[in-house]
Amino acid sequence: MSEENKIATEATRLGLSLDVWAVITAFLLALLVRVGVLKHVPW
Amino acid sequence: MATSAALPNSEARNHFANVARFIPGVLLLAVIGFAGKVLEQSINGYAKAHHLVIPNVEYVLWAIAIGLLIANTVTIPRIFLPGIATYEFWLKAGIVLLGARFVVADVLKLGGISIALVVLEISGSLILMTLLGRLFNLKPKLTSLLAVGSAVCGVSAIIAAKGAIDADDEDSSFAIAAILALGAIALVTFPLIGHALHMSDNAYGLWSGLAVDNTAEATAAGALYSDVAGKVAVLAKTTRNATIGFVVLGYAIYWASRGQAEKVKNKGAFLWNRFPKFVLGFLVISLLVSVHVFNKEQVGALANLSRWAFLLTFAGVGLRTNFREMSKQGVRPFIVGAVGEVLIAGLTLGLVVAANAIWKL
Repeated sequence: MSEENKIATEATRLGLSLDVWAVITAFLLALLVRVGVLKHVPW
Repeated sequence: MATSAALPNSEARNHFANVARFIPGVLLLAVIGFAGKVLEQSINGYAKAHHLVIPNVEYVLWAIAIGLLIANTVTIPRIFLPGIATYEFWLKAGIVLLGARFVVADVLKLGGISIALVVLEISGSLILMTLLGRLFNLKPKLTSLLAVGSAVCGVSAIIAAKGAIDADDEDSSFAIAAILALGAIALVTFPLIGHALHMSDNAYGLWSGLAVDNTAEATAAGALYSDVAGKVAVLAKTTRNATIGFVVLGYAIYWASRGQAEKVKNKGAFLWNRFPKFVLGFLVISLLVSVHVFNKEQVGALANLSRWAFLLTFAGVGLRTNFREMSKQGVRPFIVGAVGEVLIAGLTLGLVVAANAIWKL
């Protein structure tokens, strides 16, 4: 099994798919930006 | 007492160990991605200081090139592998955050055009790949996997279809290797063709989102052209990804009707399980930005977070492209894939040119 598949399987074992974990992470980051914890993200 | 107290500690340790094993690889992705960014800035700075005219090589290409160099010259120690494989996680998180750079009106306009083109692209790709598979005498299920991979969204579609049509591991490895190898070739050829044809950022982004199969490579091929092309490529590719459930369901029903796959009992659940949830996340962020939940600085911060996530993805694209491994998969699926991809690239280019003439992209 490739590492990508292993990670996807492991994410699913935690009850959610890798997709959903990525969405949750992105929403949490957006929330941190919204409440001002992350004020400036340089690029 | 001692046992019950020890259990949570041991669970916590396991959990920490699980997370910790990703750290070396993620750090490697970050170092390579950042090195790409530093290289771009340093070379541009040097050229400017010495009044030299050097074509700008974007950080995207540097990150991919460094990754490719490492993956194809040294054996990457096992400790890095779990973290490197997270590149797809960063890609999806990056796409959700990229929603901040689209107001809903953009999504409706470009997304509407994308939907029309995606329907044509998927129909054309499925027909072309099926005909080519028959012509080259490939196994029928391998042909199905190549057709799904090239029509919808590369590796994810192949993995989803493999389970649904009960295809062999070997067939899916063939199909994945062909799609990945062709994606790597697209990274070099697409920007060159785009520049040669003087395509606008929107038209080029739409083309790469429609024609390049794997989401990571489509994102990179777009970003290699320009920042705007990169975001349009993601939108078009995301529209394609959203159809994955329908196409895979079609193939599952076809193979089940021939008694070579399990029957689909609940079609609604089948579609929902395969629907890429990050598409919904992208739309939610885009909607929140459109109703001004975030101010201008916050939108900038979200856009930059998306860029950092993509930086890790691009490094991962290079690191997981191992030409030696791909060549072991044999040449016939690759030839079918290559011929099909060239025809699909031509078909989608024609569609984008026609759309550009009608809607002035």
